[in-house]
Amino acid sequence: MVKRSEKATTMRKVIKAIWIFNWFNSCGFAELVPLVGSRWDMERFGMIIVGTPRHADVLFIAGYQTHKSIERAKRVYEQMAEPRVVIALGSCTMTGGMYWDSYNTIKKLDDYLPVTMYIPGCPPRPEAVFEACEKIFQHVKELE
Amino acid sequence: MVKKETEFLKKLETKFKVKGRVQKERRIWLSISKDKLIEICKWMKENGYVHLSAISVTDWLKDGKYELTYHLWSYDDKILVTIKTKISRNDPKIDSVTQIWGNNAQIHERELHELFGVNFKGNNDLLPLFLEDWKGPAPFRKDFDWRDFVRKEFYDKKNEREMVYFD
Repeated sequence: MVKRSEKATTMRKVIKAIWIFNWFNSCGFAELVPLVGSRWDMERFGMIIVGTPRHADVLFIAGYQTHKSIERAKRVYEQMAEPRVVIALGSCTMTGGMYWDSYNTIKKLDDYLPVTMYIPGCPPRPEAVFEACEKIFQHVKELE
Repeated sequence: MVKKETEFLKKLETKFKVKGRVQKERRIWLSISKDKLIEICKWMKENGYVHLSAISVTDWLKDGKYELTYHLWSYDDKILVTIKTKISRNDPKIDSVTQIWGNNAQIHERELHELFGVNFKGNNDLLPLFLEDWKGPAPFRKDFDWRDFVRKEFYDKKNEREMVYFD
């Protein structure tokens, strides 16, 4: 029998399905809609969008964040219970995207929130989002 | 076709000694000096122009002027009266119309205060609306070079990833 650390055992117990809280500005959610809809249907993998950050494991964050909205995003992040994961979608969260010269938007999200994974693309493909979520399970499996 | 508009404009011109023109059906433009603004607006509201649709600012950089535009609509007359008045660009001050239209005008003035830096005397809540912790100049002014501002504020020329923004 494999001897696992306490963290690994708990994580294996905790992570069965991914519950998501969405924080999207502008076109962010429009890009994720196919994932919720019937074609890619994320609920078959147990991924579900919850109504409060206190129930969520994963924070999806996309679209350009303004200086005003990032303060709210931080508050959402602080309310989430550990272990928590932040997945940033799209090029806006990485470099500012097409808003690189806007005076009112932030440029790199990891200056403000501890981003676990970036999914590139404008918009990212639904498959890429699934792959990112698969990586969370993989990470837990690889914990010793 | 524009009979009621012409009549109403003539009424305004004789009463307040201002100049205006009938733009087309249901549209009147009125240019006034800023001292007459409150007086005219009060009269307009009493005479059915209860709906203040919008207030906007145009920045005339070469003339050194801000042009404030007030759009007033009457549900009885079905006329949109556009009142225009010019104020100095360097010291933009004007009386607030919140005393006439109340909260309806308040939010417009608050926005313009934030984006153009216009001081509305008599408006008691001019807190920032969209831009929290904003330290730069009023961003909608024509002489505000936002790209330059962003380069200084967010990017480092020596950073390999970010030097492309300086080309």
